[in-house]
Amino acid sequence: MKLAPRTAALLGALALLFLLPVFGVSGFYTYGNLRNLAIDNLPVLIAAIGMTIVIVAGQIDISIGSQFAVCGALAGLLAKAGLSMPSVLLVTLLSGAALGAINGLLVTRLNIPAIITTLATMVILRNAIIRATGGDWIQDLPRRFQWFGLEQLTAQPLYLVAGFLLLGVSIFVLRNTAFGRSFYAVGCDHEAARRVGLNPSAVILWAFVAMGALTALAALFNFTRYPTIETNSGLGFELKVIAAVVVGGTAITGGRGSLGGTLLGVMLLGTIGTAFTFLHVNPAWERAIQGAIILAAVISDTAWKKEKA
Amino acid sequence: MSIASERKSAFSRWCPNAEWVLLLVLALEIVVFACAADAFLSLENAFEITRLAAEIGLLAFGLTLVIKTGGIDLSVGSMMGLSAVVLGASWSAGAPIWMAALVALSVGAGGGALNGVAITRLRVPPLIVTLGTFSLYRGLAEAFTGGYVSYTGFPAHFLALGQRYLFGGIPSQLLVFAAVFVVLWLILHRHVLGRELTAIGFNGAGARYAGVRVERATLWVYVICGICAALAGLVYVARIGQAKADAGLGYELLAIAAVVLGGTSITGGRGTLHGTLLGLLCLIVMQNGLRLAGQPSEISGICTGLVLVLAIALNQLWTRQQRASQISQLQSPASSPEFPFDMKNSQVALIIAAILVGAVLIAASNVFLARSLTGSGAVARHASPDTSPTVQKKLVVAMTPKAKADPYFVSCKQGADEAAARQGVDLLWDGPTDPDPAKQNEIVEAWITKGVDVIAASAASPEAISTVLRKAQERGIKVITWDADAKPDARSFFVNQATAQGIGATLADEGARLAGGSGKYAIITASLTDANQNEWIKYIKEQMASAHPKMELAAIHPCDGQRDKAMAETKNIARAYPDVKVILAICSPAVPGAAEALKQENRTNVKLTGLSTPNLNRDYVHQGWVQSIVLWDTMNLGYLTVTAAKAVHDGTLAPGATSVKAGKLGTIAVEGDQILLGKPFVFTNENIDQYKF
Repeated sequence: MKLAPRTAALLGALALLFLLPVFGVSGFYTYGNLRNLAIDNLPVLIAAIGMTIVIVAGQIDISIGSQFAVCGALAGLLAKAGLSMPSVLLVTLLSGAALGAINGLLVTRLNIPAIITTLATMVILRNAIIRATGGDWIQDLPRRFQWFGLEQLTAQPLYLVAGFLLLGVSIFVLRNTAFGRSFYAVGCDHEAARRVGLNPSAVILWAFVAMGALTALAALFNFTRYPTIETNSGLGFELKVIAAVVVGGTAITGGRGSLGGTLLGVMLLGTIGTAFTFLHVNPAWERAIQGAIILAAVISDTAWKKEKA
Repeated sequence: MSIASERKSAFSRWCPNAEWVLLLVLALEIVVFACAADAFLSLENAFEITRLAAEIGLLAFGLTLVIKTGGIDLSVGSMMGLSAVVLGASWSAGAPIWMAALVALSVGAGGGALNGVAITRLRVPPLIVTLGTFSLYRGLAEAFTGGYVSYTGFPAHFLALGQRYLFGGIPSQLLVFAAVFVVLWLILHRHVLGRELTAIGFNGAGARYAGVRVERATLWVYVICGICAALAGLVYVARIGQAKADAGLGYELLAIAAVVLGGTSITGGRGTLHGTLLGLLCLIVMQNGLRLAGQPSEISGICTGLVLVLAIALNQLWTRQQRASQISQLQSPASSPEFPFDMKNSQVALIIAAILVGAVLIAASNVFLARSLTGSGAVARHASPDTSPTVQKKLVVAMTPKAKADPYFVSCKQGADEAAARQGVDLLWDGPTDPDPAKQNEIVEAWITKGVDVIAASAASPEAISTVLRKAQERGIKVITWDADAKPDARSFFVNQATAQGIGATLADEGARLAGGSGKYAIITASLTDANQNEWIKYIKEQMASAHPKMELAAIHPCDGQRDKAMAETKNIARAYPDVKVILAICSPAVPGAAEALKQENRTNVKLTGLSTPNLNRDYVHQGWVQSIVLWDTMNLGYLTVTAAKAVHDGTLAPGATSVKAGKLGTIAVEGDQILLGKPFVFTNENIDQYKF
């Protein structure tokens, strides 16, 4: 298999990042630390799967940070109301899908560009949750909420297995099924997709529904790590996810991209902070370096392509 | 189609994208708020609105040009932060202020050029480039100042740019705003560059074949946008009075909203600068009106989103139908000419209906408010028949927390509500969602216009809030501060829960005690730019150096006020600095985040203390993951603040007083201009259950 230039660049950057802590730093390469790294970035990865689909379909969703908080708060309230955890899971996923469907319908039925639609729903949902909770955390959750009532040591590996299983299934669906390819078709050329018999509106709607459901799942994976729920959570989550997806090589113009690349993007951006902490770098530099890496990744890709052309 | 466009009326030439819809919305907003909000319809408030519009407006004007080419620039808010820091740094390095401003503007141009070069030469999509520079510029500003340095003490003639009024009422930034508008309007609508931008936006390749130098024109647009952003940064600094890395945080979204609301197509080509101006005014007038109507800021956020969706949806619908009717006209020229006219009418009807629904909602909530007030008045009269039958106007106390969604302030509000209910005070409570000095200033400005009796502020930034508090005092409004003080000349009293020094020292002592007197400690702070936290860190370091010299600071990490990040950072610190003995978490979500991290890592050898509320940490304290938390009785703080506000207004608390009667709290000592709640309190496993907040 030939390596795409972006994949090579990403692997190089990742190798460098994972190589640095080898020298004179202890504790980075331990099972515990790597598991923490994976668990902490799992919500971003889950949401990034959805974001990859949305961006491949030529759309974007910047409302997921607010959706994340809304779904988390909802899950907490449901659990507190006495629902069993499987039904909390189900209802939260459905509500996430419904929120995604609202975005999708606004985009497809009313023809509002996705960036504006989701900008509006982002602002509305974020303010609505402050209105509803007054900023208070949701407390006194039943014991079955944290880790779905499991022991932490059993739950964490299960979460990871579930996450990667989902990633595997998504990779398969996106690469090997007609349903998955339809996102690429619509993202590449809306009109051409229509002429070969696809329904672009339906495809885009599905992308947003998937995004919503996956955001809800990401919220569950995130909030069930705690015994209480912070309602002001998820600020800036959308930018983290979008950055990971585009660094992973998905074209922002749609039609091109892979979940493998997204995984690398999540790993790269998610590891920077931890690696720097282990290297004892001043955290004031973290954001600047992160921005530089995003730029370098996308620019090196195009520079490479230009050279070859 | 060509025939139709040749014979455009003057009206459709000026309003190609249904800008008249916005005029209508604006007119309706004005009518509604004139009825529903106090002091909305006044010349003074009209100027106030333009003052608030200036910074967002400068960004929006630059963005209009960018979006017209089919691009986007997400980095403008970050550029405001960077230019503010550059201005402050060069001023404090001794450059004259005009030189410093020039340097800041050229940094803006340079940043814009970097965006432009990456987009035009390297062919990276604008969204991605500016997503990268969004982090990069803000990051550079933070790295440059370490996040915490804030530059103040700018000369008065520079501050005049953001605070003074010319000719008795015109805010001076209105001039900057108007000048930029005129220049960019001429460029966009009367200069060849403007036509080129339109061509590029509609079809880049087509423009190239028509002889447009696409790269050069596009590059110029990003440079102009960068300069506008830097200029907005300067106005921001002049208004707030301090330059810090967090200037303009989140401004890009509101600016983009104004542009697209103004009819500029996000895919490029269509759009006018006066449309942007109208879109901007629609948003700002609505925010201002809702604030004056006494609605909390979440409501105006929700309305902003709704208006955006609604206006764009109608605009899309209208242009689609217009296009359809044009096509049908081409196909059969004899088709009825009144068809598009009908459509317009239905649009108008729809818009009016939508806006009226909004208006009714607001009016209804106002009626409810009025009814509840008179209702409680009636009850009071009923309860004590001695009081005069004329309903006395209730005292209005407006109280702003640093950040509304912070559980610490939520518990303060409980106490404030209790005091307000007991003492018959109308309490207005509003603040920014996150500690954002600019937003807080806007809220206070609205209260000044509204004419409240007392303002009680917890300063997100002492320098920034003082500018508006002084203005409030000039208008005869009594001002006190609570929780976080402003400059002493900007308020009469400060309700002091504990001095920064006291908090820092208590935290340091507590940390040293838990570490057994020696060892390494780490700090989890809110954000690197947070003024209060930085003050506490200063005193923690001082106290450690003087009283506990064997304690050594390992690292300071920010959690951005988020529990998720606090947990991740704590896990990392616990592993990367294995010899850390104590963690001091100094913002309320950080302590439970750090506690959960230690619990999951099962690190019983790391002790944890910090500033947080008992409710958030009760279980962790019982389980032994949090050894202690340092705080005061936050409900009493809210209670005391409202009581003091009433006392200051009634004149029972005047300069020179040594004590104040505070209802259930008894008599509270006053020292100079400080009302002292008491010493910071250490909550531990033994006493935490006595406190329910």
